[in-house]
Amino acid sequence: MTTKSYTQAVADGIWGAGADLIGYVPSVTIAPVIGHLVTADGGTAGISERVKPLSREEEAIGVLGALPLAGKFGAVVMQDNGFGNSLTALTTFSMSYHLPLLIFANTRGGPGEYNSMIHSISQPMPTILRTVGLQVLELDRRSSSEDWEQTVAEAGVHARMTYRPVVVLGSFWNTDGKVA
Amino acid sequence: MKRIEALEVLNELTAELPVVVTCAATSRELASVENRDNHFYVLDSMGLVGSITTGLALAAKDSDLPKVIGLEGDGSLLMNPNVLPTGGFLGAEKLFLILLDNQVYGSTAGLPTYSSHVDFGALAEAAGWTVGRAADDARLRSEFDRLIATSGPTLLHLSIEAGNASDIPKLLVDPVVLSHRFQTWLTTRLARGSGTR
Repeated sequence: MTTKSYTQAVADGIWGAGADLIGYVPSVTIAPVIGHLVTADGGTAGISERVKPLSREEEAIGVLGALPLAGKFGAVVMQDNGFGNSLTALTTFSMSYHLPLLIFANTRGGPGEYNSMIHSISQPMPTILRTVGLQVLELDRRSSSEDWEQTVAEAGVHARMTYRPVVVLGSFWNTDGKVA
Repeated sequence: MKRIEALEVLNELTAELPVVVTCAATSRELASVENRDNHFYVLDSMGLVGSITTGLALAAKDSDLPKVIGLEGDGSLLMNPNVLPTGGFLGAEKLFLILLDNQVYGSTAGLPTYSSHVDFGALAEAAGWTVGRAADDARLRSEFDRLIATSGPTLLHLSIEAGNASDIPKLLVDPVVLSHRFQTWLTTRLARGSGTR
């Protein structure tokens, strides 16, 4: 039996969550996730009909977070240091207007990190996100790729059930993925 | 042209279109002209109107809506100028931003923006948008009519006077009420369109 890779599991979980449109802000860790998403949607070179590159996380919250207003559901794929520039949008738009959104973010600043300053934003991020009232689910090496896929998919269900954004943080250290 | 005069014209022109409206004085003044179900007031989140409008334009891609309208200010656009390259790159067919440019932060003591030195229309053109420019009623109407029939991201750069209308009440409403009202209107409109195509 072949075990699904963690990045493939994340991509399959996002589609399984029922995303109509996905936006991403690149990072080397999630590049394979983006590749899987684009390939599954018939695209190439980082873009497809339902997978779009965006330039900044704040913008991604606006673009994908608006979809429920049109009866659709969006997902964002990003890196956790990008929450710093998107908290105002998450709180005053997505949360205040009760708009569901699935966010998968890879984590930095922990085990496997090489960058000497990124931990300054990434280490406190789960606490910061919970402090503003966001639902946060954390994944790491201790669960299987199947668990990752199911958790990401259920996070989308939970976002729609609660009419709020749900954040899944994934640490790829000691998985088959890459930290940075 | 004062902002509220421009909004009176735009309200007339957008009766059947989704309209995403930037925060503070612009939302208040439009609501004072007419508070309609097709208006989505972004009460805070300064700078996000262009991104929200981009998302809705992508969501409405296969509908019979001609455009999704975003009413943005020059100060607000400066908070998130990424809207221009992103809209141009994605080529969102139904994206239509109307930039109400008064060269000041109208709700922040009238402090100046960069607008006296930076041509937002030229920035949009460089990013691949089709741009129109207006400063009076007649030109606003003619450029609106031209741009709403133009496929791809369009920007109407409307020069207006600085200053806010007097005695306009604040919009003190729970945002979730605005979400529900606009979502109900938009999803009904999209369903109606898909049923007749």
